[in-house]
Formats: sequence, C-alpha cells, structure tokens
Amino acid sequence: MLTTDAVLSVGLNHYLFLSALLFSVGMMTVLLRRNLIVMLMGIELMLNAVNLSFVAFSHYTQNLNGQIMVFFVMTVAAAEAGVGLALAVNVFKKFKEINIQQFEKLKG
Amino acid sequence: MGSDVFEISVNFIKLVAIFLLMVQLVPLLVWVERRGSAYIQNRFGPNRVGPLGLTQLLADAVKFLFKEEFIPGEGRRLIFLLAPVVALIPGALAFGSIPLSAPIQVEAFQWLGQTWGPYNFPFQSFQFDIGIVFVLGVSSLAAYALLMAGYGSENKYSLFGALRASAQMISYELALGLSLVGILLIYGTFDFAEMVTLQEGPLTLMLFGTEYTLSFLPNWGIFYQPLGFVILFAALFAETNRLPFDLPEAEAELVAGYHTEYGGLKMNMFYIGEYGHMLVASGLISTFYLGGYNLPFVTVDQIREFFVQSQGFTLTNASLAASFLLHLVFMAKVFLLLWIFIWVRWTLPRFRYDQLMDLGWKTMLPWALGNTIVTAVFILWMRSV
Amino acid sequence: MGPGEHHCHSGVYSLDAIGIGVDMQEAILFYILGSLAVVCSLGVLLSKNPVSSALYLALTMVGLSFVFVGLDAFFIGMVQLAVYAGAVMVLIVMVVMLFDLKKEEDSFSPGFFGNGLKVILGGFMVGAIASVIAYSTEMILSAPKITQAEPVDMSVKALARLLFTDYVVAFEILGVLLLLVAIGAVALSRIPGGTHADD
Repeated sequence: MLTTDAVLSVGLNHYLFLSALLFSVGMMTVLLRRNLIVMLMGIELMLNAVNLSFVAFSHYTQNLNGQIMVFFVMTVAAAEAGVGLALAVNVFKKFKEINIQQFEKLKG
Repeated sequence: MGSDVFEISVNFIKLVAIFLLMVQLVPLLVWVERRGSAYIQNRFGPNRVGPLGLTQLLADAVKFLFKEEFIPGEGRRLIFLLAPVVALIPGALAFGSIPLSAPIQVEAFQWLGQTWGPYNFPFQSFQFDIGIVFVLGVSSLAAYALLMAGYGSENKYSLFGALRASAQMISYELALGLSLVGILLIYGTFDFAEMVTLQEGPLTLMLFGTEYTLSFLPNWGIFYQPLGFVILFAALFAETNRLPFDLPEAEAELVAGYHTEYGGLKMNMFYIGEYGHMLVASGLISTFYLGGYNLPFVTVDQIREFFVQSQGFTLTNASLAASFLLHLVFMAKVFLLLWIFIWVRWTLPRFRYDQLMDLGWKTMLPWALGNTIVTAVFILWMRSV
Repeated sequence: MGPGEHHCHSGVYSLDAIGIGVDMQEAILFYILGSLAVVCSLGVLLSKNPVSSALYLALTMVGLSFVFVGLDAFFIGMVQLAVYAGAVMVLIVMVVMLFDLKKEEDSFSPGFFGNGLKVILGGFMVGAIASVIAYSTEMILSAPKITQAEPVDMSVKALARLLFTDYVVAFEILGVLLLLVAIGAVALSRIPGGTHADD
C-alpha cells in the first residue's frame, strides 16, 4: 500500500486522512482534558478539520460549493467560540474554577 | 518562482533584497524620529556620533549586542524568547506583497550561448491576486507578539499592557477592513499591482454615464474616497500602536508596556517590527490612495517611451530606468507619510483606553459602513445611467 | 489520483527548471504543513499549560491556512488566517491569560483505563474513517458529473458571485446570527448599569 507513488503524489486521500487525524485529536482533547477552555479549543480543532476536508473536496472535484460551506462553518464556529467564551468567563467569575470535575455535583 | 534558472534566481535575490530593504530602512527611520522629535521639541537630537548623528543607531546596535541577556519567568522561557520573532514576521511578509515600483520588462537576450526569453519581473517579493486580503490576514497575526511578550514576562503590568494592546488591535482591524471596502468597490480588484495601474494619468470620472476628465488632478484614490482615506489613516495609527493610540507602550503608565522586560537585541527586534509595520502602513496608504508608484499625470508607458525615444535606451534599459525613477517616487510618498506618523506622535496626547475603544467601535465603524453604502449607491447610479 | 486535469496550477510558481515538478512541490508542501498541523494539534492535547495549548492551536490554524493556499483556495486560506488565527484565537488566548491559571497538575481526566479506552476508541474511529476514505474516493472521483472537460472558474469573483446569488439567504441569516451572538455575549457579561455605573 505504501508504494513510492502513493506517498509522493498527493491526492484526495491524503488530505482526507490528515483531516481525520486532526478531527480525532480534537475529539481526544474534548474527552481527555478537564479544563473548560481547552475543551472549547478541541471543538475548534474539530471544526477546522472539517473545513480542511471541505476544501480538499472542492479542489479535487472542481466545485466551488465546498468553499462556500467553509465560509459558513467558519462563521458559525467563530460565533460559537464567542458565546462559549462568554459563558466560561461567567463560570469563572462565579466559581473561580474552570475544572469540570468540580461541577459534577449539581450544587451551587 | 519562474520558468527557468535565471528567473528563479532573480526572484530569489529580489525576495531577500526587499526584506533587507525593510530592515535597513528601520535605522534611518529611528534617526529621523529622534532628530525630528528633537526639532519639534526645540532641542538637539543625537548629533555627536558620526555626521549629523547618523551612526548613532549603529552604536546603539553594537551596544545592544553586548548587553547581558536575562530571562524573567523561567517557566515561560520559550514564549518569552519567541515573541520578538513573531513581532517581525507579519511586517516582513506584508511588506513583500506591496509593489514598490513598476514591473521590469526584460527583452530576450543572449548570455552564455543561450537565449533567455522575455521576462516580466514585478517589483515585489511575491504577487497574488488576493493582495490586500493577504496583508489583512498576516497583519492580524501581530497581536500574538504582544500577547506572548506580555505573558512571557511574568509581570502583571506587562500582561495588562499586552491585553489592552491586543484588544485595541482587533478592534481597529475591523475599522481597517471596512474602510477599505469603499475603495475596493471602486477598483474592483484585490491585487495591488492592478490597483496602481488603475491610478495612472489624470482624473477620469464617470458622472451619470458620461466620462469627464479633470486634467488638473491626478487619478488617485484620495479624490474618489476622501473619507475612506481619513478612516484608514486613523485605523493604521491604531494598528501600528503609534500615538495617539499608544496605550500598549504608554511610558509613565506601564513602564514600557508589553516590552518592559526585554533588553538588548530582543528589544531591537520589537523596534524593527514596529517600524516595519509603519512601513507597511505607509505603503498601503500610498498604494490605495496616493497612486502607488505613479508619477502624477503620466502613465508608466509614457515614461518608458520617453526613455526610449529621447535618450535612446534599449527597451530593457528603459524599463529599468523607469522602474528606478518610479521607485524614488514611491519612496518619496512613503517617507512623507512616515514623517506624518512621526510628527503626529510628538504632537498629540494619548487617548485613554475607553476613549480609544469608543472611537474604534462607535465612531469609525459606523462612518466606514456609511462610506461603503454611499460608495456602492454612487457607483451603481453613476456608471449605469 | 483524481481525474486527469484537475491541477489548475498556473505554472508561474513551478520550480520545473530545477527538477521539482508540480506534483513534487505539492507533496513537499503537504507533508511539511501537514506534519506541522498534526504536531501542533498534539501539542494542544498534551500540554499542561492552557496558554501553551492555545498558542499551539493558533499555530495549527496558521498551518491549515497555508494548506488551503496549497489547495488553490487562496481567499479561504487568507480568511482562515484573518478570522480564525487572527481573531478567534486571539480572543481565546486573551481569555486564558485573564484567568491566570497556574500550570495544572491534574489537567487530564483521572483513571488510566478510562483514558485508555477513550484513546483506543479514538484510534478505531480514525481507522474506520481511513478505510472508508480509501474505498470510496475512487467511486466519488470517477462519477460522470465530475469528469467533465471544461475548466471551472474557481477564482474569488466566482466565489463571490455564488455567495451572493445562490446562497444569499444563508448569507443574510449568517449576518443575523452574528448580531444575535454579539447581543448575547454582551448580555452574558454585562455589569448591571453599564461600565460607567459607579463613576
């Protein structure tokens, strides 16, 4: 499978594999880390991986709709990051903690 | 980079040379600032080292090289050391995409027994067809240098300065982008080289469907969009952290703001970054609104024709001479704008932080939006009736 | 690879003369930038200091932006640089610096087996996606609609035209969404009475 030609001439598969890798690293960040902001960053990383696969498809099928989708995903992700950060700031102001293990007990 | 070895090597040398041009202009700018500010404040500036104090900067650089290097906050060493590097990168990248002169057209010539074909070398490090979007994207990375410097210093005051500075920068990036939309609607392209080509010759207006030529004014952007020019100028002051938007480096408030803990060569790199940003800002203003490298009322082809006919140069030499002349014109415009930057710095007092944010969001943003709407309506009306 | 002539490189930036063809250039660009992106994303996951995580994520986004440029999506690449790396990440870095958290000793969820299970399942997911990609790309790329011969205009003008004609409703809704988000963020973080309440 790893012939020289498959490695050296980069095709759609390579970009999609990179996108899958980044998506899984983002998912691991959300699952494994306990800091609220770092989990938000994991979500942003997942959205970026999806953007990469959209742009790769748009390039290899010569269709501009992929890039339009990237526009929308980028905007929605930025909006979501803004609201998420405002929420995190409020949580920090009230509890002085953004470690999600402290919020397991449905108190306060 | 090019289609044969000659073109690739010329392009590579051009890349390096334009970067070095930016780095070498910085000591000259600092000298102008120190002497000019002294002149404004009715005192002498540095005038002992070298003729007119010109080698003062060289002496300072040598002094910086021998200073002791200390790093506060051993826990954040990498961030502290990387911040000056990140300060240099946006300015250098953005400066490379601004056209400094007319493209040089080389005719086919014989050398080493081979014919090297006709070439066209644009007088910039690289050329995209998305010129201005590239500059906007790359200069928004300058906020990281501030944040990294402030955080890596492990000093509360530096952190405050850095946070205020980056909030200021991202607010004014918005005003910057919006003030450019008006002029981009008129030119219809993102590419700098095309924009400068569109500003050749005398002023040509389309009023209600017919074309008028006012031959006593050059075809510069400032006559089409005066409000856009004012807003862009003010927003670029804020982007480069120059007075009156000087809070990040407010001396007497925050010691030296985000670069308090830096000494020696790292401090020098911050200065190169700041003056590099000023160069990029001046280059942008002169490309959009002051006609770029164009001499008023004449087009580039007319200059090349003049050289060919009256001086009898070959086409290659005429192109080289025209580019050299136009480069001097561009540099004159850039220096004029830089002098205005320096003049304003030593004349106006500094804005308070909330006044600064009010100005960015409540004044510049609505005016820039209004400018865009009026421009769009005008274009639709004047070019279609 | 894909159908024959999908490369729309203009050749101006090719280094053909010194033996590096267009394919090789694209491969070098992809591998360098791709490994930068993967290494930095692992830095996001593994670094203990949240500020370092945020800076690594910013570098990942810069790397991805240049991957987009390598895929000939110049405008989207620069918008990614300006919006994501230049505004969203600056916001996140600012918020993390404001919190001023110390280096966290227990930044990962506890439980070795729990974490191990999550990592293994993540690995399964990557494997599943990779095999789906490997089996289906041929099918997608040789579909009759795709292998057309006429060159499609993929410039910024075409993108803008598409955005303002076919997708104009979604575009306007996006504007309303951004307005809602701005109002929401201000409402969440305001001090009753305004900033100058106790002046």
